[in-house]
Amino acid sequence: MDGHGPAHGERLARIAGHFKPVEASGHGGVLQTGACSAGDSAGYERRNASLDDVVIVAALRTPMTKAKRGLLKDTTADELLAAVLKAVVQRTGVEPEAVGDIVIGSVLGPSSQRANECRIAAFFAGFPETVPIHTVNRQCSSGLQAVASVAAAIKSGYIDIGIAGGVETMSLNPMKWEGGVNPRIQTMRETASCLMPMGITSENVAQRFGVTREQQDRFAVDSHRKAAAAQRAGKFKDEIVHVATKVKHPKTGDVVDVVVTEDDGIRADSSTAMLSKLRPAFKEGGSTTAGNSSQVTDGASAVLLMTRREALRRRLPVLGVFRSFAAVGVDPAVMGIGPAVAIPAALEKAGLTLEDIDVFELNEAFASQATYVMGKLGLDPMKVNPNGGAIALGHPLGNTGSRCTAALLHEMRRRGRAARFGVVTMCIGSGMGAAAVFERGGEVDDLNVGPVAQQGHLSRDARV
Amino acid sequence: MEVPIGAFVYATSTAESPDRNQILCCRLRNLTECVTVVVVKIGPTGLVEVCAYDTPDGVYDCCWSELNDSILISACADGTIKVWNIIAPPQTNPLRSFQEHGKEVSSVQWNVDRQDVFLSASWDGTIKLWNMESPTALATFAQHSYVVYNAVWNPRSGNVFASASGDRTVRVWDSREPVPRLTIEAHAGEVLAVDWCKYNDCLLATGSVDKLIRTWDVRAPQRPITELRGHRYAVRRVLFSPHAENILASCGYDMTVRLWDVSAPEDALVRAWDHHTEFSVGVDFSNHQKGLLASTGWDELLFVWNEDQDPRA
Repeated sequence: MDGHGPAHGERLARIAGHFKPVEASGHGGVLQTGACSAGDSAGYERRNASLDDVVIVAALRTPMTKAKRGLLKDTTADELLAAVLKAVVQRTGVEPEAVGDIVIGSVLGPSSQRANECRIAAFFAGFPETVPIHTVNRQCSSGLQAVASVAAAIKSGYIDIGIAGGVETMSLNPMKWEGGVNPRIQTMRETASCLMPMGITSENVAQRFGVTREQQDRFAVDSHRKAAAAQRAGKFKDEIVHVATKVKHPKTGDVVDVVVTEDDGIRADSSTAMLSKLRPAFKEGGSTTAGNSSQVTDGASAVLLMTRREALRRRLPVLGVFRSFAAVGVDPAVMGIGPAVAIPAALEKAGLTLEDIDVFELNEAFASQATYVMGKLGLDPMKVNPNGGAIALGHPLGNTGSRCTAALLHEMRRRGRAARFGVVTMCIGSGMGAAAVFERGGEVDDLNVGPVAQQGHLSRDARV
Repeated sequence: MEVPIGAFVYATSTAESPDRNQILCCRLRNLTECVTVVVVKIGPTGLVEVCAYDTPDGVYDCCWSELNDSILISACADGTIKVWNIIAPPQTNPLRSFQEHGKEVSSVQWNVDRQDVFLSASWDGTIKLWNMESPTALATFAQHSYVVYNAVWNPRSGNVFASASGDRTVRVWDSREPVPRLTIEAHAGEVLAVDWCKYNDCLLATGSVDKLIRTWDVRAPQRPITELRGHRYAVRRVLFSPHAENILASCGYDMTVRLWDVSAPEDALVRAWDHHTEFSVGVDFSNHQKGLLASTGWDELLFVWNEDQDPRA
């Protein structure tokens, strides 16, 4: 081996050049860990799809009917919940025994009794004794907290499949304070504020942040208008589970069988002229009325979550991906401002900005606080509650979070590529706010064709 | 299976022949000398050398003709592209010797779609388009500012190709136009390798001295789609599988051959083999037998193995 050619040294130098250290890459050089680093600005919808993603494959709810007057007024919590629990497994074909845990948001029901009723509901729905269930109570965000808890359990590997839901029968469990009040409560401003009726916190928000009666009434009319349009267009059909139940006639006392199929709180004819005649409900000279507050309603909802791996294996279409959740605390006296703090917190966790969000499901506890939140964050009204909110549809406290999740995901599915990210958010009695970010499912990226093991390195059209 | 194939295996593409069992690789002794194109056949008992052609200088790449399954072309370090016919008598070989590049020819690739032309890339910074009939190049593409290491045809569009260069860019060209349609500043270091996805004609993969493999959508070239980390030194070659849209093979100076799932960027590494004891410089999938891989390295060895097994077995 002699006579190295003249090119020898040069070639070696070139190869040696391939070992030169490279300065930091122009693309940041670090792996992007943000959940969704490609916002709408990206020319190509890049998705950070992982098999460990927590995805939602079904989100359903019962119709929501007026407490003490609607068709669900005599339906117990267990029956209400059983209807949606049964529907989510039936519609997806997931065998009930595969569910690792069920978490139900419930607010007004007596704690231990409600936990027991939920267990009963699971049996009614056909779940075997091996499937556990528990309740959570973060007041008005309980349903969303249930979704977040199930997502967290899946993320941490406790379970692969879980159901989150909410149930509230405000007919049978009205809001009340049991037992005496600790006198020491009055020694602190915060603790005293915790006892404020919600309507008073709404008045506080309206007064402190200058939300007028006219603004609130207009907001309420819009909610009814949007809900009525959505109902007419059949948009709620995909998310509503019909409930076969019995109802007692208020006067005659006759019990009749009914199948409840529709929400009953929507007033298509609502107008500011009508609403302006209503008297303030909570405070003399106030601005919060029955017409611009959320309705008192009965209802239940359930959301089926699993890992993307599980969804792929079962070939279930992905309705949405759970991206982030945040609960925050605010002054109890103006608890309605919660979403204004919670939304930015959840967005930051998801690596997104407000501009990335296409749809908001902002619970309309009161028109005052919803108007404040939209103004404070500068939300585009076209993006908020496109199918109406709690002022038209009702706010069964424990049910609302999962109900809004269903509403959001079905709306995003209808919009397709026009909506990629959505937020569910609400204020929480005693001064908190919660928000969760969801990404629309429906993978359009051809790369996401399935796990490698399943494919066996075959082209997709190949047959083995 | 493993065979020592003589001297030094240098930049090789172990492109497989249209005649199912023949593998092509080239070897080189002492970086500059001897210099043989070898055709190896997978026989019943192992790999058998079918024929070998010596050339005066190094051979950096080779590929089979798509027109005639006994014809192969080799990219030579002396700037020539030599054409060989493995069934013709020895004295008639090489069939052609195209001499136009001023420096080492680093890669050659036959056009699968149009079938009558092939591309060569060279350290002189140019890419040339050839056919067998014309003694001179049909076109020369001279926009890169430094060495071009790799040029590959788009599997769907017979006029489109991509090139990877030491100027840190990847360029996408229409062979009817002298300037690239697209320039991607792909890496922070020299880009040594590029390949198109066989199922998605907008998807590119690149391998670089910065140790990264990136995938790109040519419709949105501002940022890579995914970034695959794992190679500990420069990535020498990347290659999409002919059998699956999301499977990518790579090899590099860290002596490994790796298989990636580009659709799962968080957990992309499917397999890694460390059977080579020197730089691993060539890797290829069998087009005909799913799961069959071949690789070569500076350890003078050619390995052919099934992806489920150990190459050394």
